[in-house]
Amino acid sequence: MINQVDDQLSTTFHALADPTRRAILARLAGGEATVNELAEPFPISTQAVSKHLKVLERAGLIARGRSRQLRPSRLQGAALKEVADWVAVYREHWDESFDKLDEHLRDG
Amino acid sequence: MADIRITRVFDAPRERVWAAWTEPARIAAWWGKRGWSTPPESVELDVRPGGVFRLNSINDEDGREMPLDTTYRDVVEPERLAFGDATVTLTDLGGGRTEMVFHTTVEMTADILRSARGGLASAFDRLSEQLEPRT
Repeated sequence: MINQVDDQLSTTFHALADPTRRAILARLAGGEATVNELAEPFPISTQAVSKHLKVLERAGLIARGRSRQLRPSRLQGAALKEVADWVAVYREHWDESFDKLDEHLRDG
Repeated sequence: MADIRITRVFDAPRERVWAAWTEPARIAAWWGKRGWSTPPESVELDVRPGGVFRLNSINDEDGREMPLDTTYRDVVEPERLAFGDATVTLTDLGGGRTEMVFHTTVEMTADILRSARGGLASAFDRLSEQLEPRT
């Protein structure tokens, strides 16, 4: 259903809208990491990082390990692919429009 | 959130590309995806900062509508036109050719969701088909 797709994408886009969360994802692209490791490069507390991780987890962008102490986080590719697909759809809209613009300019 | 940048080179002088963006009869001739038409009478362009940029595209098959209703942010004829989240930059390449750089930022705003449900719906239908589990 289209609304479910929209809602899931809304959650994902919201999660991606924050620069710290995008930086966390970029860090996780290099491999899984614990909260402490993730907090290191940022001038924010581990609690703040934990909050960001919860948002990313809800959006399906990361998964977290079971180990109670460390709970390492790792990237989940599927949600990111949905975003990439969505952006591709948007881009296609403009691409087709500009094909028509090109034809219009050729016609005279 | 996500940047979209599209660069095109047209075999047309910059003034003509500018006119294609800023004259109602001309923009009506090309605006929208394939399979969508934009009636010239739906187009309202007040090409100055703060001026309205409105038009309505209609699906050729089922009559669905995809209205655009935004305002111009920046107008520097004939080289830069900014509206909504988008900026169009035109560069004269000489020899009657023009480079157009179109840049926009995609955010999952209420506006985009609305247009997605209306106009980008055909594309979204295909996307949702891809996302729905196959049986």
